[in-house]
Amino acid sequence: MSAPMLSVRDLAVSFVTPDGTTTGLDGVSLDVGEGEIVGLVGETGCGKTITGLSVLGLLPRTARITRGSIDLDGRNLVGLSESDLRRVRGGDIGMVFQNPASAFNPVFSIGAQMRMALGAHERLPHAEGSARIRDMLAEVGLPEPDRVLRSYPHQLSGGMLQRAMIASALLCRPRLLIADEPTTALDVTIEAQILRLIRGLQESRGFSVLFITHDLGVVRSVSDRVVVLYAGRVAEAAATAALFAQPSHPYTRGLIAAAPHPAARRLALASIPGHVPADVGIVAGCAFTDRCAMAIDRCATERPALRDLGAGHLAACHLAPTAGVGA
Amino acid sequence: MAAEVLRSATSVARAGILRRFRRAVLADPLALTGVTIITLLVLLAVFGPWIAPYPAQGQGESNVAARMLPPSATHLFGTDGLGRDMLSRVMVGARPALAVSVLVVLLAMLIGVPLGALAGYRRGRLDALIMRVTDLFLAFPPLLLAMAIVAALGPGLDHAALALAISWWPWYARLARGTATSLRERSFVEAARSMGVSEVQILRRHIIPNSITPILVQATIDIGTVILAAGSLAFLGLGAAPPTPDWGLMVADGRTYILDQWWLSAFPGLAIFVAVLAFNLVGDLLVDLLDPRSTR
Amino acid sequence: MLRFILRRLAGSVAVLFGLSLITFALARLVPSNAAAVYIGPKARPEEIARVAHQLGLDQPLPVQYFTYMRDMLTGDWGTSIGTKQPVLGDILGRLPATIELIGAAMLLAVPLGILLGVLSARWQRKAPDILVRLISIVGVSLPAFWLGLLLQVLFFRDLHLLPLTGRVDANLRFSSPIAATTGLYVVDTILSGNWTALRDVALHLVLPALTLAAYPIGLIARMTRASMLEALSQDYVRAARAAGLSERLITYKLALKNALIPVTTVIGLTLAYSLTGTFFVEVVYNWPGLGTLTVKGLLNLDYPVVMGVTLFGALGYVVINLLVDLAQSWLDPRTRLA
Repeated sequence: MSAPMLSVRDLAVSFVTPDGTTTGLDGVSLDVGEGEIVGLVGETGCGKTITGLSVLGLLPRTARITRGSIDLDGRNLVGLSESDLRRVRGGDIGMVFQNPASAFNPVFSIGAQMRMALGAHERLPHAEGSARIRDMLAEVGLPEPDRVLRSYPHQLSGGMLQRAMIASALLCRPRLLIADEPTTALDVTIEAQILRLIRGLQESRGFSVLFITHDLGVVRSVSDRVVVLYAGRVAEAAATAALFAQPSHPYTRGLIAAAPHPAARRLALASIPGHVPADVGIVAGCAFTDRCAMAIDRCATERPALRDLGAGHLAACHLAPTAGVGA
Repeated sequence: MAAEVLRSATSVARAGILRRFRRAVLADPLALTGVTIITLLVLLAVFGPWIAPYPAQGQGESNVAARMLPPSATHLFGTDGLGRDMLSRVMVGARPALAVSVLVVLLAMLIGVPLGALAGYRRGRLDALIMRVTDLFLAFPPLLLAMAIVAALGPGLDHAALALAISWWPWYARLARGTATSLRERSFVEAARSMGVSEVQILRRHIIPNSITPILVQATIDIGTVILAAGSLAFLGLGAAPPTPDWGLMVADGRTYILDQWWLSAFPGLAIFVAVLAFNLVGDLLVDLLDPRSTR
Repeated sequence: MLRFILRRLAGSVAVLFGLSLITFALARLVPSNAAAVYIGPKARPEEIARVAHQLGLDQPLPVQYFTYMRDMLTGDWGTSIGTKQPVLGDILGRLPATIELIGAAMLLAVPLGILLGVLSARWQRKAPDILVRLISIVGVSLPAFWLGLLLQVLFFRDLHLLPLTGRVDANLRFSSPIAATTGLYVVDTILSGNWTALRDVALHLVLPALTLAAYPIGLIARMTRASMLEALSQDYVRAARAAGLSERLITYKLALKNALIPVTTVIGLTLAYSLTGTFFVEVVYNWPGLGTLTVKGLLNLDYPVVMGVTLFGALGYVVINLLVDLAQSWLDPRTRLA
């Protein structure tokens, strides 16, 4: 297997506030291969968005990368100069955000913003640039590209804006697209369209996708591989089918069980009791211990390493190989 | 209801906000300077006549033998046309300056807050009426209304104070209305309403005490602004009259001699500037403290 | 958009009516007998009564208000007790001088204030930010009349660079008279190519404009800074960074355009401030404008003048607010294309 395009190794991020320091990410490692769609899943606050932002160096001022590396084709993005990072952003890696209405500048037309995005990386003559933009808009399924280009964000629907945002992110032909909850703010029918769009674009253009979401159903339908994040640490990572067939981390099993299932409508909704630890940086053992039904003494004192259970199926649980199969 | 405003103001002071305030002030050198200056002003206002080197001259007693002396060791700020020590005049002048502005702000609060809270809570026609009235008052450029009122009533510190209070109350009405409108939807107010508590009681016990913080912040900033406004009116001859050691009046008096005896206008004007600056610095800090998004 | 304009206009008219009521009430609030003041202190009671009747002061109040409104709307704003001239004429005669002063001050303050605010936000927490914040807070705390005096001492007495008072050197009336077309001396001298006079006029304008501009610069810089910081914290800035746009483009184009929307309100506020701020500056510099007219009227109890200027100033304020509202809603595509 060729070397992964994006390789995150032991990434740790801290937040510094006047009241103290908290840990956002505590040693996250994941890979995204060429042409692969990797789903990064976890509940709110688990650090998935932080991971995405870290790749592009877009962390808020209060956050700091304290250790680890983020390799894009062997080049470490951590510690890169601002000007180099700017070339990567939008050029090598494109990003799509959760709320398309707020990700677009309200006082500029869509066309103006897309032209600026293109101009940041390529010096194209005006006609050629406009053609590329129009083609891109058509490719994401937006009819009447000229009208869209002239419009301001508030004049377009959420679905149309998200398509435009995807188009804008892909303008300079990046090799990786980071999608941070791109469908969370959309209703279900539009969500399905956007997911189909992303898969279709990926197939025709061949870029990789890091798809960040809290929705297991979405992850299942879109990703080739899944990485499950819990409290700033990786709990499990596997090919999608394998993850859902044999979830090997108690948290993953809990997530899958908790997802509402149409067939089980009359059964009570399962949920995982307990809360995510406030600051995982000070947790010595496994972060999930307090909420885990199978926890043993070792779980509270020793942090489980992310181990390969076979065929690239990784899990960070002391009991993983013997934990058994299925939900 | 006006009493409730005062009561809430004092209870807020006792609450934890004082602790946060102290911590924030100590961390910010500018705000610390502001607080120090204000403390100084208050001390001068209370003890001025005792601390000043020439207290009688501060009050107005002349000493014609020593007129128009430039700043020196014996007269740090020089002397004026009647031989009075300028330092003492400025120090003693802190009392009328502070007293008038505190009075004006207090009056504006006591009129504006109950009216605004009532409007915001009741909504409907009363709200519209009160808001139209405040709109009218606020439609005058700042100070213009006050000047017109003083012109109508005649010059004098009391008339100026009244005129300023009349110009200022609409701001507090607006502020109080805003907070009242958002508070009336809160559950504890609904609970009180459903229990049959009278409207006046709700306003007194719930609305006003919970709106008081932004109003207090505004009041703090306003004390500085009113010092400037009152000084400006006095400069034009619409405020205090001699021999009151009013800073604005002193600047006006010194104006004719500005090219030679610059100290006559310079130091009283400096006092106004420093006082306003101090209140603005502290006001900035308070605004930051209240902003939920700030990191202080 | 059009509906918005019409609604605002209607509102303004309503406010103007209310204002006229207040100024009328103030004029009638005068405790001393207006008729007595008009004639002078040595009048006999029957003369006072005659003048009172002449001035219509013995009519019932609603009738007086009606006459007042009718006169106002037809341009009869009363007669100045001091100059014995029509008040409106006096006001309009003095207006160009004040407009020139306020115009110069705003032309200085708006670009400078915005620039300082943008720099302050761009280099937040570094030296430019601290410097600008200092300038702003000093600017809004300075008493204009005190600053004016200080500047006079510095630039006239010590440095001998600029004139002390007035709009123009009196001697120029004979050597290079200014053709009065607009009443704005800067414009008039340029139009007639009178370069000597232009230089003199400009020199006279510097200190007063600077004095009047201090507060607006401070306020505009501070509000621009706050507005820019707000804009820079928005999602679209993060998205722009994610697309690889340069910080310069983000600050001076993407964020600034958003930040300017609330700044228009502040510009309106500073214009309103200037309406009364100009009184003090004009007094200090002996500038022959509305300010000196009003202050003289205030001190001489010339009520017609005072009420006239009050109404005029309030009118101006209403117009300014209307323009600001219009500018704001035009700048923001969300309201412009609603």
